[in-house]
Amino acid sequence: MKEMDESAKRLAVTFDSNVYSLMAIKKAAYKALRAFSADITMQGELIHCQLTFSSPVSEEEAGRLVEDFKKEVLDQDLRERLQSETEAVRNVILAHAFSKTKLVNDEPLSRD
Amino acid sequence: MLKLHGQLPIVNASRGAPYLVTVTTHDQLPPDQKRTRALLMKPRFDPTGFKTILVKKNESPRERTEGDVFELSADYEYLDEGDILRLDPVAGSMRCLYRRNSIHNTILLTEQCNHYCLMCSQPPKDVDDSWLMDEAMELIGLIPPETEALGFSGGEPTLRGDRFIQLLQLTKDRLPRTAIDVLSNGRAFKDLTFAAKCAGVKHPDLLIGIPIYSDDPVRHDYVVQSRGAFDETIEGILNLKAVNQRVEIRVVIHRQTVDRLVQTCEFLARNLLFVDHVALMGLEITGFTRPNLDLLWVDPYDYRDVLSESVKLLNAYGMTASIYNHQLCTLNSDVRGNYRKSISDWKNEYLDVCAPCTKRDECGGFFSSSKLYKHSAHIKAFP
Amino acid sequence: MSPFQGIEQYEARTEDYQLLPFRFILLDHDRYVLTNLAGEYLIAARKTVLDLLQHRLSRTDPAYCDLRARHFLMDRSSSIAPTLLSLKVRTRYHRLAEFTGLHLFVVTLRCEHACPYCQVSRQSEDTLRYDMSTETASAALDLVFRSPSTSIKIEIQGGEPLLNFGLIQLIVREAEARNERFGKKLAFVIATNLALINEEILTFCRDHSIVISTSLDGPKDLHNASRPRPGGDSYERTIAGIRLARQFLGSDQVSALMTTTEASLSRVRGIIDEYVAQGFSGIFLRPLSPYGFAIKTRSYRAYDTERWLDFYKQGVDYIVELNRQGLDFAEYYASTILKKMLTSEDPGYVDLMSPAGIGIGAVVYNYDGSVYASDESRMLAEMGKEQFKLGHVLMHRYEEIFSSPNLLDPLEESFAYSAPMCHDCAFEPYCGADPVFHYALYGDYLGRKPESAFCQRNMETFRYLIQKMESDLFVKQLFTKWANR
Repeated sequence: MKEMDESAKRLAVTFDSNVYSLMAIKKAAYKALRAFSADITMQGELIHCQLTFSSPVSEEEAGRLVEDFKKEVLDQDLRERLQSETEAVRNVILAHAFSKTKLVNDEPLSRD
Repeated sequence: MLKLHGQLPIVNASRGAPYLVTVTTHDQLPPDQKRTRALLMKPRFDPTGFKTILVKKNESPRERTEGDVFELSADYEYLDEGDILRLDPVAGSMRCLYRRNSIHNTILLTEQCNHYCLMCSQPPKDVDDSWLMDEAMELIGLIPPETEALGFSGGEPTLRGDRFIQLLQLTKDRLPRTAIDVLSNGRAFKDLTFAAKCAGVKHPDLLIGIPIYSDDPVRHDYVVQSRGAFDETIEGILNLKAVNQRVEIRVVIHRQTVDRLVQTCEFLARNLLFVDHVALMGLEITGFTRPNLDLLWVDPYDYRDVLSESVKLLNAYGMTASIYNHQLCTLNSDVRGNYRKSISDWKNEYLDVCAPCTKRDECGGFFSSSKLYKHSAHIKAFP
Repeated sequence: MSPFQGIEQYEARTEDYQLLPFRFILLDHDRYVLTNLAGEYLIAARKTVLDLLQHRLSRTDPAYCDLRARHFLMDRSSSIAPTLLSLKVRTRYHRLAEFTGLHLFVVTLRCEHACPYCQVSRQSEDTLRYDMSTETASAALDLVFRSPSTSIKIEIQGGEPLLNFGLIQLIVREAEARNERFGKKLAFVIATNLALINEEILTFCRDHSIVISTSLDGPKDLHNASRPRPGGDSYERTIAGIRLARQFLGSDQVSALMTTTEASLSRVRGIIDEYVAQGFSGIFLRPLSPYGFAIKTRSYRAYDTERWLDFYKQGVDYIVELNRQGLDFAEYYASTILKKMLTSEDPGYVDLMSPAGIGIGAVVYNYDGSVYASDESRMLAEMGKEQFKLGHVLMHRYEEIFSSPNLLDPLEESFAYSAPMCHDCAFEPYCGADPVFHYALYGDYLGRKPESAFCQRNMETFRYLIQKMESDLFVKQLFTKWANR
């Protein structure tokens, strides 16, 4: 959900913290540094992002940048979940790839 | 078709147990050799000292000898130097167990089997026939070491467990230059220890031929009439390859297997690419095939395109594949490279219509049983 | 009563079944592609897929038997599927542990051509400081023989490598000498434009079983237009060079690669005809990579994925027809993908590997001693982005180079199975992670696949190859042959 500020230099976007992780939003905000800076606050269960554009933008351009920001948040959120879900498989395969180079330790995957 | 066993009229015999004896056409032999030989009698031959004398009708030796004398009818004219027979001096029965002139001899190790294939050519008998293994061991001792190839068959040879391994070891020791092929359903090898024992023999030229009749486990189990057969056979094959044994996959083509023949070959290419050979075999109209003919019969001419597609696939994947027990005129020309002129030489025959065929020498012809009972309706001489 | 039981007695006692791991994606209209854990595919109608997923698929459905036999579902009649699947998966990944097999040596940056798409950013012919030194070559060989791979392929590149032929001879002799100790399977390739080839060079190649790989962009006008050279005779020299090389080395030791440019896109049949006319047994219809001069001179933007796909499909269609008419001629990009679709073998093609082929499949030793994770990594560096530089042959040891975060980070982050969309994609077994491409275009090792030209191109190519195979037995058999080359 977004709201346009009068000066057309700021927009607000809200994310449901039950759906998106804070880390994902921060990563997406970081990627968009050149386009805008983001003030991120928690409001109950909602993550509120106040976006301030670095240079004047048309409403259309602002809309496009925000849409891209939302896509990036989704992307980063999914990446995070999948990375952790597939960590074991990924480690096994990468370890197998490096197995004959003597660059990996022969430690079991599980930790105490 | 050669008559490999039958009843021989006894002219004169001791009342001992059945024994193995090697045929000879020479009467001038050292005494200790004569004691283990069966002389194919000829006029003016001296039969004294031979264990056995084989005479034609009305040609018994004039003097009585100590050896057993049996009469051979014209059916046994093929017998020659070096053939090995089992003779029963009480019952008069004879079985030719080994023929020196044959390129391939097969030794029956047991008639017991844990399968009951719809097309079994050696129907199982649930009797204690462990004496067959004893005999096989004795036979190995008599077979000449220049023998190029020998087969072990059954029933299911691996039911003999450790004795089977012992036989392999003995064969390796006595016949180190002889290639051995074993026909087995492979299930016993699902026990890795057993597979390892087989590998432990370190036989220089051993091939284990294992049937897989379909990529569909249900269909395979149905053809061999045993639930769980597919899984255990595959496990056995994987274990054998894990211990570096050579494995051949055998597929008999008939009405119950032809519909998925291409898929079966695809299964082999995707799952068992590492096997050493694939044998695609025609149906032999003997044993259980005859009572099950309705279920099994399909004219090979009618499946020639399916066979071509299957062979092309195996060839494309670099698998070595051979077609056995088919007639050339029932096949497309594109499979000629994989065609083998097979059918054991004691079984093969030709039809009258084959007389002028220009490819007769390259063609394996028919099983005698096929000629008698059922063969393709499309047999035609090549011009 | 017959002692033989009917087939129903061998079916599972109950009708329930288990789903084995698989993914699915729309193929066209109503059909889906399903791929199992081992990357084997099967085509099914939408209704079949829905029934399958909802455990409603009947045993009498014609698809049921195939789904069971090909390891998409498992019922109580057989439980061997997991064993076979894991064997196939192990086979697919087996080659990974061989590690770096392809070692590229950029022996000089000098070149006498001026091709606009050249990623090599050629320097003019007479500047010797763009040659690799013997010290660098020797240090690079130290690294080569640290690879655990049982087969090593050393590919000599440039610029135009024959301008530094002396060093090539040194590298080959030195590699062979060192290999006495290691006993690896050693192979050499020289990637050259053949303009400078002569009998002395070819004799050396013959004596050391060196394979020649050259560039042939298409018919004369196309080739000369995209490969300008003082004298404007690149095509003539290439053809003459190919003839001479074949004479000395045999036809199977001389191969050619084309580069796709804007001008190529409408000429695919002519390009293929040229390869046929020159007696090649196949062609690699390459995508254009967005590196080096290609981007600088805007030639990358001159075409897009759609247009390349048209070019590619037309090319493969044409080659299939040529085969139908009896000519034995293959398309090598399709062959690479088909190997992944139809076998459990890994073609080791750097751009279609996950984990990515950087470092694991190939490594580049540049003329100046810099080590890069792949050919494309070096091209990116020529554009000023050293993201994938792993170190320097004279300053870093093997351990430092292959543990460099510039290698490990992109390997980890671009891992396809961990990537959104790739994780669920039925085509993932055929595809790859290309962190260099995505970094070059999108600034990130992974990119957003829905927006990625790499993804779009690959998905469309996979669909196209599968559709062709499924609709024509001749093509299925031809493709099976190609897959097993």
